[in-house]
Amino acid sequence: MRSAAMKAITRALSREVALTALLLLGVSFVVFLILYLSPGDPFSVLLEGQMGGDAARAGVREALGVPKAWYAQYLSWLGNMLQGNFGKSIRTGLPVFGEVVRVGLNTLYLTLGALLVTLFIAVPIALHAAVRGDTAVNWPLTIFAYVLSALPVFWLGYIVIYIFIHKFGLFPLLSGSSGAQEYAWLYVLVPIVVLGIGNDAMSEIIRYLRAEMRRVMAEDYIRTARAKGASVWRHAFKEGLLVPITEIIASKIPFILGGAVIVEQVFNWPGMGRMAWQAAQDRDFPVIMGIAMVAAAFVRLGSLVQSIVYTVVNPRALQE
Amino acid sequence: MKSYSQVAGEIGEYSDLPFWKKAETVDLVYVAYGLLIATLVLVSYTLGALKLLPYDPQQISIELLNASPGSAGHLLGTDFLGRDILSRLIVGIQAYFLPGLLAIVISLSLGTALGVAAGYRGGPAEALITYFNDLVESFPRLVLILLVIAAFKPDIYYIMVVVGVTGAPMIASRIAGKIGFLREKNFIEAASVLGLPTHVIILKHILWHNCRTLLIIQATLGMGEAILIETSLSYLGFGVQEPTPSWGNMVQAGANYFLQGRFWPSTAPALAILFTILGFQLLGDGLNNILEGKGNK
Repeated sequence: MRSAAMKAITRALSREVALTALLLLGVSFVVFLILYLSPGDPFSVLLEGQMGGDAARAGVREALGVPKAWYAQYLSWLGNMLQGNFGKSIRTGLPVFGEVVRVGLNTLYLTLGALLVTLFIAVPIALHAAVRGDTAVNWPLTIFAYVLSALPVFWLGYIVIYIFIHKFGLFPLLSGSSGAQEYAWLYVLVPIVVLGIGNDAMSEIIRYLRAEMRRVMAEDYIRTARAKGASVWRHAFKEGLLVPITEIIASKIPFILGGAVIVEQVFNWPGMGRMAWQAAQDRDFPVIMGIAMVAAAFVRLGSLVQSIVYTVVNPRALQE
Repeated sequence: MKSYSQVAGEIGEYSDLPFWKKAETVDLVYVAYGLLIATLVLVSYTLGALKLLPYDPQQISIELLNASPGSAGHLLGTDFLGRDILSRLIVGIQAYFLPGLLAIVISLSLGTALGVAAGYRGGPAEALITYFNDLVESFPRLVLILLVIAAFKPDIYYIMVVVGVTGAPMIASRIAGKIGFLREKNFIEAASVLGLPTHVIILKHILWHNCRTLLIIQATLGMGEAILIETSLSYLGFGVQEPTPSWGNMVQAGANYFLQGRFWPSTAPALAILFTILGFQLLGDGLNNILEGKGNK
């Protein structure tokens, strides 16, 4: 019986992994398609002004072994990418993959930290609403969450920078500013907190968690636990907290990554979002393609983790 | 003997009480606020389009740099070049209004078509919609937009096509879910047994009678999202360029004067963004709670 359950779980998980691979393939195709449809291929960008005449250009393409048909181009690009070769940045000439991974780590800290901040605010509000029902505190908190998620995050960033520089003289933003430099490490935390508060997912996260917790609290098995005098928390934790939180984290990662583009810009945070912004300005295709692929892989990974947690916590779902 | 309202309460959504009597006060407040904001945006947009403005939004006046609200006849003050902030806020609506409508039309029509295909036919079509949904959600939208900007050009209409297309699968899955729900109630079966042609069932009985409110709600939420994306891109420098005003580039330009203690030129457009996005979000959520029922999210 137990081994049968394990087998079912393994099968479900391998299905998820296969689906993730299939989705990443689709992502790569979308990225390729956008580039393929764009006016002027990277070649003409590179060769601009250096070589006149279509015949000469075609000669160069042939000499460099660029395949003609779109599917051949796609396959060779995909093959290179699978070997970790994402091409070289047009602007800096450095290999894209290494660069993206280097700055990607900074973005990873930023987004994971921001997620923690968001959950730190959202979970207590949602819990309070779910357990205590609609009280007098509840409504202002909900409105507060709505306001936070509608607040333009760049303006919030400027306000925070102003407060910290001007009022506390804390951060090394102005060169040569003398201040309480021992607090400089705090500077790392500020963008994280700003993104955690200002990403536009806050109100949705609260509403989702609240609805899920309410649903679970109304289940029969919780009533039974309550009647027996058993711990309601222990019974409600898995389905009422763990599963909804992993679900909402997985579905909000793309939003928070998008918010990171802006917050990194405001705070000069050397991450993927800033790199994407720079690349979009320079029309540096290889870089922005690499970033799109890495970001999508990150999103799919989060989603994969979520489905693993869900399957392990709730094997019953397999039987449906 | 039960009173009328008790019975109506038990029957729930089938009671013939008008929807505003069944709704919670909070939701009505949300919707009222949202409608107020939507009307304000519409009226301001019309005024801006007709050039009925208190001042010329481009008129520079050196004597009145970063003036505070109410000074010298400028109701909301002036910006760093002495231009009237109120007029610029009104003209700034043009940066997102029509592009936002375009995004909404694209995502609603594409989403409806896909959703009907998936829900009505079921099977492989439905699996395909799920796949597209996951595919679109794999991209952080801003990264996808930056990719399109790099590949094509920073044009707001290109960007809004991306926003519209990426919004479609979500609407498609909502509509497919709705049709699945109708199927369970033998609703569609009954219609086809009555001999109604397929296009009448889809257009009238499914879309008009049962998906109307859903589409309105999605359109409202879509406008909020379009504003968010337009202002973010203008802030990043890929949207509307100075001297043409957009709320995003106004926040950005005004923020340079923070250290001089001039908060207003940046805060006024930020508040405009806040109240407007809040309005469209609350309108969408309130309508959803009232018309579609809670938990039907």
